[in-house]
This record gives sequence, C-alpha cells and structure tokens, in this order.
Amino acid sequence: MGSVTSLSSLFQPEEARKAARRVEDTISERQEEVERLKGFVADNTALIGLVQKLPDELHHDIMVPFGKAAFFPGRLVHTNEFMVLLGEGYYAERTSKQTVEILKRRGKAMDANVQSLKSMIEDLRAEASFFDSTAAEVAEGLVEIREEIPEDDSSEKGSVEQGFESTSMAENEEVTNEDDEYARLMARLDELEKEEQAAEVASANDEETDNYGHGEISNESIFPEELDSLSHPHELPRWPEDRHSNRGRSLIQDHLAPNMLERLNLEDRSSRPIPEDANSCADNPRQNLQGLRNQKPDVMPKEATSSVTSSSDQVPSQPSPSAPSPRRADTSKAFTGSIIERAPNFQASTASSQAPPSSQPAKPVSRFKQQRR
Amino acid sequence: MDEIRQMKVQRFEEFVDLRLKPDLVRAVAQRDKVFEQQKVFSDLKKNIETLQENSVTSLKTLVNLGSEVYMQAEVPDTQHIFVDVGLGFHVEFTWSEALKFIQLREEKLGRQIEEYTDLIASIKAQIKLVLEGIRELLQLPAEVPVRDDRVF
Repeated sequence: MGSVTSLSSLFQPEEARKAARRVEDTISERQEEVERLKGFVADNTALIGLVQKLPDELHHDIMVPFGKAAFFPGRLVHTNEFMVLLGEGYYAERTSKQTVEILKRRGKAMDANVQSLKSMIEDLRAEASFFDSTAAEVAEGLVEIREEIPEDDSSEKGSVEQGFESTSMAENEEVTNEDDEYARLMARLDELEKEEQAAEVASANDEETDNYGHGEISNESIFPEELDSLSHPHELPRWPEDRHSNRGRSLIQDHLAPNMLERLNLEDRSSRPIPEDANSCADNPRQNLQGLRNQKPDVMPKEATSSVTSSSDQVPSQPSPSAPSPRRADTSKAFTGSIIERAPNFQASTASSQAPPSSQPAKPVSRFKQQRR
Repeated sequence: MDEIRQMKVQRFEEFVDLRLKPDLVRAVAQRDKVFEQQKVFSDLKKNIETLQENSVTSLKTLVNLGSEVYMQAEVPDTQHIFVDVGLGFHVEFTWSEALKFIQLREEKLGRQIEEYTDLIASIKAQIKLVLEGIRELLQLPAEVPVRDDRVF
C-alpha cells in the first residue's frame, strides 16, 4: 500500500514559516528572561561577598539613604546582624553566616531556574529548526513516499503497531516519549544484567575446568567483551540460552542503529533524489522525534514495524527464518533505528496482541529495495 | 480612484499606528517617570519636615543591602543632608536649604508634567484628526462610534 503525499499538502509553506517565526519570538523572550535571572544571580553572589565581608569591621562609614533622593552621612552598626526577608513580609534576624546560607540557597534555586529556562530554549531551538527545515522542504516540493514491506511475523508486529498508534494518539506525547525512553533504558539495563549473570555463570563453569583468572577478567571487563560477544553470539562458550543471544543481537542493532541509519541515509540519498521525510531528518534524532510528533499516526510507515523492532522481554524479537533473507539484514537494521526514534512502547504492545496486520501485500517492492537485492 | 483612496486610507492608518501611537505611549511613559520623581521629592519634603518638628539630631535606620537584606545603620548628625540634584550630583544642604531646593524642584517637575500633558493631548488630537480624515475618505457617516474608541 504505497502512497505518495506531497509535503505541501500536509504543511503550508507560509504556515511553517510563520510557526518558525513564532518559535523564534518565544526563544528571544526566554532569552531575555534568562538574562534577567542571570542579573539576579550576579547580584546575589555580590551580596554574599558583601555579607561575608561586613562583620570584619565593627562599623562601616556609609551614606545612609534617606528616601530615594537623599542621603545622610552615617555608618553601619551591629555588623553581624542582618534582617533577611523570608517572604510574605516576614523578616528574620540572622548572623552573617546564616544569611550567607540563605542567600546560597536562593542562588541555587535561581540557578535551577536558569537551567530549566536554558533547556526550554534548547527545545524551542530544535522546534524552530524543524519548522525551518519543513518550510524549506515544502518549498522544494518534496513528496513523501510510504509503502509497506511484506510482513511475515504477524502478531507481534501488529501489536507493536497498534500500541504505537494508541500512544501517539495520546495527549501527553512528551511524557510518553520520556517514559518509553526510560523503559528502553531499563530494558537495556536488564539485558545487560542478565548477560552479566550469564557470563558469570559461564565463567564460573569455566573456572572449574580452566584457571581462575579468566573469570575475573571477563567479569571486570564485562562491557566491551559483552559487546563483542553480542555481535557474535554463537562464538561465546556456553551461552545459556539462545533466546538471550538473539535478544542481545537485536539490542546491539538498536545500539548501532543511528549509525546504520545514517549510512543507509547516505546511500538512500545518492540512489534516490527525493529522500523520504523520515530518513531526511533521521540524522538528527531530536528533529526526527519532533517531526514524528507532528505527523499523524495513520501515515506511519509500515516499515517502522519491521521484524527486529523492540528489545522488550516479552516480545521475541528474532526475525523468523521464513523472512525474505537477502534484504533483511540491511533493511531491518536500518529501520530498527527509526523505530527507536518512534519510541515503541513495549507494555502496551504486548498487552494488546490481536489483529494481525494484513501480511504479504501483493504489491512489488520498491525500486529502492530492488536495488538492495 | 477607488484604489487611490484605498492607498491613502492605508497610509493614514499606518501613520496613526506606527508613528502617533508609539509617540503617545512614549509621552505617557515619560510623564509617569516625572510623576514618580515628584512623589520622591514630596516624600523627602515630608520626611524632613517630620525631622524638623521632632528636632531629631541622631537617627537609626535599616539599610537595604540588596535582595531585601537589611542592616542597622545610625546617623550621628542629621543636620546635614545630601540631596540628589540630578545627573548623579548630591549637594550637602541643611534642612532649610533642602526644603527650599525641594520646593524649586517640585515647581520644575510640575511644569514638566504640564508640558507632557499638553504633548499627550496634542498627539491624541492628531490621532483623532487623522481618523476623521480616514472617515471622510471612506465617506462614512459622521458619528462613527467604532472609530471613536480607537483614539485611546
């Protein structure tokens, strides 16, 4: 079911440009806010220095302000007594040290504010650049080509797709994405832990026959060795379960996916003058994510749910042996990358595993895929 | 003919929106600043008068060090007060001298406020004039309640 949609039918170039401008305005507003806050922070640090210095002397000669337009010559007395505003018109009498502590806490709060504003600006920048690139692409008259790949392993894919659609429908996409990211990380950690245990078991078994030092080394340098072993799962001695290795490999593919995708992207561009939308912004994951956020879920490419999709425990991610093997190696890896950015949600996917999608479309594969055969 | 009229109307409206209204806003802001100064000086006058009435010779106050942190300060001699005379200069006055100066200063500020009020009125009048011109160009009936409230 391929479809060709011109981007300009989805986004008006004028609209995209307007949106970019509005985002730019917001950025400059936020920037001003940051500058203001930075001024406060500088004042605060100066005041901390002053408060620390004042008790050094018994009194300081100053001009005591009298209203806004007048001064008396006078002096500061009781130099270790400060009245600090706590808020809501309540003041507390503090010593120099206590005041410095209060001021430092205030400074920390302001720093946090500045940080959050800065990250907000970063987000807005990414958004603006996405809008800009969309505007440019629309102006170039880009078209978006979507087509299904013949699918064989039915139920999981269907469920993954369904789960994804349901989440992308959800209001709170940002949170969902973060959750997915977190879930992915946790899944990855779980995998690593299991593999570590497996390696320990394996090395413990080795210890009985071999020397002790080998187990130690494998335990200490678990990460690189494990990576190595994952890429050649069958070379590892006494791998406890084949399932592990397969999942591990899919993980590695997840891991490598951005590179793969980039490589694929280059080839893609060279072989085909019109890049797909998903690929064209794939080299910037963040951009890609935002692009996806702005897209309707029903135009999601089916390739996204290719066979090696998720690293969750429940979904056996091993591509079934009946899959058309020659192109699987490349395309599955490449699209694994894109599905990561699309943030699959594992829990929902396994929960709702009915309605297998129509597998094996009769449509011939694209020129792009034919080239790869 | 109609096109020319359209162009004229557009030009007039641009003049109102881009020139006269910003001018009006600026004038109002400047007048507000002068009002503030006037308030500062009238406060100072009141304070000095209070000091005089109570014949205060020494004084204890709290000084704001910034960020609402205060410290006690004392003034051993209140006879001499330094008053801001503008451009960052402070002149040492006695109380009576200070009061004399404040009176002069208040008069001047009052004149400035009047000037700004006149300016604001004239800008408003110009806006109204141009809008009347637009109304004539469009040959709308004279009352134009819609146009009226655009003056402000």
